[in-house]
Amino acid sequence: MIVIAIILGCVIGAVIGINAPVIPYTYSTFLAIAVVAALDSVFGGIRSVLKKNFDLVVFITGFFCNSILSIALTYLGQKLNIDIYLAALLVFVGRMFTNLTIIRLHYIDKWKEAKAQKQAKPKAIEEK
Amino acid sequence: MKTKTKISKAKLVMSITIGIACFALMLVMFMQFKVVKQTDITSIETMRESDLRTELSDWKAKYTELTELYDDVTSRIAEYQSESETDEETAQLLQSELAELNEALGLTDVEGEGITITIQDNGGQELPDDMGYVSNISETDLLVIINELFDAGAEAISINDNRIVAMSDIFRIGGAYLQVNSEPIRSPYVIKAIGDPTYLESAAYNKDGRLTALQEAGHSIQIESSKNRKIQIQKYNGTISTKYMN
Repeated sequence: MIVIAIILGCVIGAVIGINAPVIPYTYSTFLAIAVVAALDSVFGGIRSVLKKNFDLVVFITGFFCNSILSIALTYLGQKLNIDIYLAALLVFVGRMFTNLTIIRLHYIDKWKEAKAQKQAKPKAIEEK
Repeated sequence: MKTKTKISKAKLVMSITIGIACFALMLVMFMQFKVVKQTDITSIETMRESDLRTELSDWKAKYTELTELYDDVTSRIAEYQSESETDEETAQLLQSELAELNEALGLTDVEGEGITITIQDNGGQELPDDMGYVSNISETDLLVIINELFDAGAEAISINDNRIVAMSDIFRIGGAYLQVNSEPIRSPYVIKAIGDPTYLESAAYNKDGRLTALQEAGHSIQIESSKNRKIQIQKYNGTISTKYMN
């Protein structure tokens, strides 16, 4: 069910996004930073699912609040003539890498476990 | 059963929420893709400063090059324009020359001050004192009168609206009619001459002139000077064609 929801959401979002009117170039930075923030939230969500401490409320609030906050920060940065969005980018991308590493390590562990189990099984048979 | 529906309800909420999140993410992402795809400035903005400098100098060089080219083309256009103007001047000069020549040849209608001489041929009438009959006006009379008028500075002459040009002929056919420019004419002979009216008049009234002689011979002659009035002389009606001249 969740898979269907994800696919449906992605497809509808992509279709509407392609057909949406082009926003002015000035505002594209905001969109970009919002995308990065959302992606960070997504990876964080996947990590929490794997760690089995996934909370929908935390995920959703993180997803939207991070995006909105990053947009607000970027706007502030434009007003102050300082590239605050770079800091936000750094944090988000850094966290994305950490999360990706955690996800990767998790699957490597799983794979290793499975391998160990496979090796252990024939031994058990031999012992019998 | 109750717990199962509860779980599925929670799952439904979760699915919808995640679906919405996915929707929002993809929407924004694709919008951004579109913007980036349609904007070339991105490449400029992401360039390094040194790249931008070289690019700027490149463009400056191109600009100077194009400016030079532009100046070159502009000067060439000005040249062509002046050339065409001189061409026009030449054409105008030729046109005026042509008009002058046509005027001189008698191929245009002209008007100006001059005199009008009307000669009534009284040929055949009896002269007083039994002096016999008045003889007809001959072609020579007309030729001499024209000659006298040209001598007095006439610029254009016509006899009965037949313009006298270089190829004009005046002679008698069959003893009855006079012919000018191969056109038969009859009395009264109206000779129009454009020129200085005073000179023309004095030539007409000259005592040794042919007009006086004709008057004495019994023809009635009327001389009308148009000092402030313009007389009109029509153009030569025939065609001037040369066949043997080169």
